Amino acid sequence: MIIARQLRKSFKPASRLSGKGKRAKRIVAVDDVSFDAADGSITGLLGPNGAGKSTTLRMLATLVSPEHGHAIIDGFDVQHDVLEVRQHLGFMPHNAGIYPRLTSRENIHYYARLCGLDNRQSQQRVGELIEQLSMSDFADRRTAGFSQGQKTKVALARALVHQPQTIMLDEPTNGLDVMATRGLRDIIRTLAANGHCIVFSSHIMQEVAALCDHIAIISNGVIAMEDTLQGILQRTAQTDLEDAFVVATRSLQDNALDTNRS
Amino acid sequence: MNLFIVMFKEIVDNLRDRQTVFYALLFGPVLLPLLLGGSMVASFKQLSIDFDQITRLSVVNADKAPQLIEFLYSNNVDVDPAPRNVQSSVRYGDTLVVLEIKDDFASALRAGEPAPLTLHMNNADKDSSKAARRITTLLRVYEQTINALRLQHRGIDPLTFDSLNIIQNDVSSDGANGQLLASILPFLFIMSMVMGGFYLAIDTTAGERERQSLEPLLSLPLSRTAVVFGKYGATLCFVTLSGLLTALSIYTLFKLFPVELMGGQIRFDGKTLTRAFLLASPLLLFISALLITVSAITRSTKEAQTYLGLLMVIPMAPFFLLQFLNVRSTTMSMPIPMLSQYQLLESTVLGDTIPWLHIALSAAGTLIATAVLLFLASHLYRRERLLH
Repeated sequence: MIIARQLRKSFKPASRLSGKGKRAKRIVAVDDVSFDAADGSITGLLGPNGAGKSTTLRMLATLVSPEHGHAIIDGFDVQHDVLEVRQHLGFMPHNAGIYPRLTSRENIHYYARLCGLDNRQSQQRVGELIEQLSMSDFADRRTAGFSQGQKTKVALARALVHQPQTIMLDEPTNGLDVMATRGLRDIIRTLAANGHCIVFSSHIMQEVAALCDHIAIISNGVIAMEDTLQGILQRTAQTDLEDAFVVATRSLQDNALDTNRS
Repeated sequence: MNLFIVMFKEIVDNLRDRQTVFYALLFGPVLLPLLLGGSMVASFKQLSIDFDQITRLSVVNADKAPQLIEFLYSNNVDVDPAPRNVQSSVRYGDTLVVLEIKDDFASALRAGEPAPLTLHMNNADKDSSKAARRITTLLRVYEQTINALRLQHRGIDPLTFDSLNIIQNDVSSDGANGQLLASILPFLFIMSMVMGGFYLAIDTTAGERERQSLEPLLSLPLSRTAVVFGKYGATLCFVTLSGLLTALSIYTLFKLFPVELMGGQIRFDGKTLTRAFLLASPLLLFISALLITVSAITRSTKEAQTYLGLLMVIPMAPFFLLQFLNVRSTTMSMPIPMLSQYQLLESTVLGDTIPWLHIALSAAGTLIATAVLLFLASHLYRRERLLH
């Protein structure tokens, strides 16, 4: 379970772009993000590129710390109980980031050992995952030259290796073909059915509409709307998530303009 | 525990990388010693003359001086007839040197006058000038014998003309020839250590960022210190392996060549190399820390290669510094990493005694520098900017 409240994060711009002598203005990646993700359901973080999805997930994964606000994962605070949060969280960043000179099995085994499993437990767990994600064809091949779908499976297996309660996937369907995407969706649904809390970020509307029980629309670092798919469609009076998305983000901009005027 | 898991993985991973393995196991330990040490030994061999080896000499008018020919023969020089055109034959390298005995040689000798001899040689050709030196040395000995005989014939003690008795007493425990060769050893050691860890350090830090495998790694339940020290440990293994192999290959190389010929008393025996390795061992820690820290600052492998390439000047600097400026081993120079090891290793090879204070200062200075670098590296790994 994830509870995020008013998260904010800004970065120093790249030094070459900022004017000399002048104090560079910080770029706000995430301004005000609050959302909940419940156990046993799939929560979609929907937003265009640069909306702050990845930064939000990075804050939740304890990779960067928020400047403002707080977040609780399975009862642990992301800023204070870092190791407990990591123990309960499986995070798959948007690039697979696997080691090309290691085999699939070795890639997963490495993470299993780092998560505290001993050699025997780790081998058993890796075997289970290879079966669960149907990876036996390429389990003992080095991952250099794998297809995007194969890479994603290895990365997903790695994220699941320590049996985390909460799983965050950053744009997992990027670069996958239709069959691989469908396969991944099935895996995600099964995980949710087993009681895991799944957070799934994407910029593809159909993807989110097809898979997610709960949707948080993020734009310019702010959560514009958060509800079930039905709830969002009703609140925006639209029949299609894409139109609903446009309405939701526009109303956010209007609000911002109003606050600026007043 | 996690530290060792990271370390073991990085070692296995990089043993599968051809570039890393080539530089760690072949370039430093085999190619460098062969190229540098080998060419040096070969040039020493060229300069030194082995008087016991039988050589051939072309002589014009050999029949005019049978006693001289007999003397040369007893000094391992066999006489050949001269080629037809002496000048061009020597110039074009067909004959190394030609000794020409003039027609009036015998009569001048009998008359007690200087007997004319011409030695045709090509000073631009190393082999020719080496052969000429050998023949000249023999002729001088022959000349002295005749001088002594002539003086005795006139009732004069030959020692009358030896007014000075010069004895050269070289107080350095080495021969001057060995100096350069001795400075090669620390250079080879340090260079191959750096090359040994170079690609592994880049691959495990900048490479991991570039492959974007760092982000999932850091989101695992383990401390970042374990990550840094695991990578450090893997680099240390490669650097150590490279250093050990270099010691082994230097030992083998100098087993194959006669070191005695180089004059002086430089040593490359097992005991000396073990001592040299032990004296250089704090550098293993230092070099690994330097490699890890510098490549942790960089964002990509290309950037890391550029920075570390510039850093290569550091192991080379003491070598050239000590070649051109005679920086003496002092208590002041000992705490400086690299420089002190250069001096200590050079002294070891030359067989000089090294004060324990110098050894302690060198180790302490290097270890303190290592600690500072490692502190910096683990600080770099705690930065959020690491992920961008």
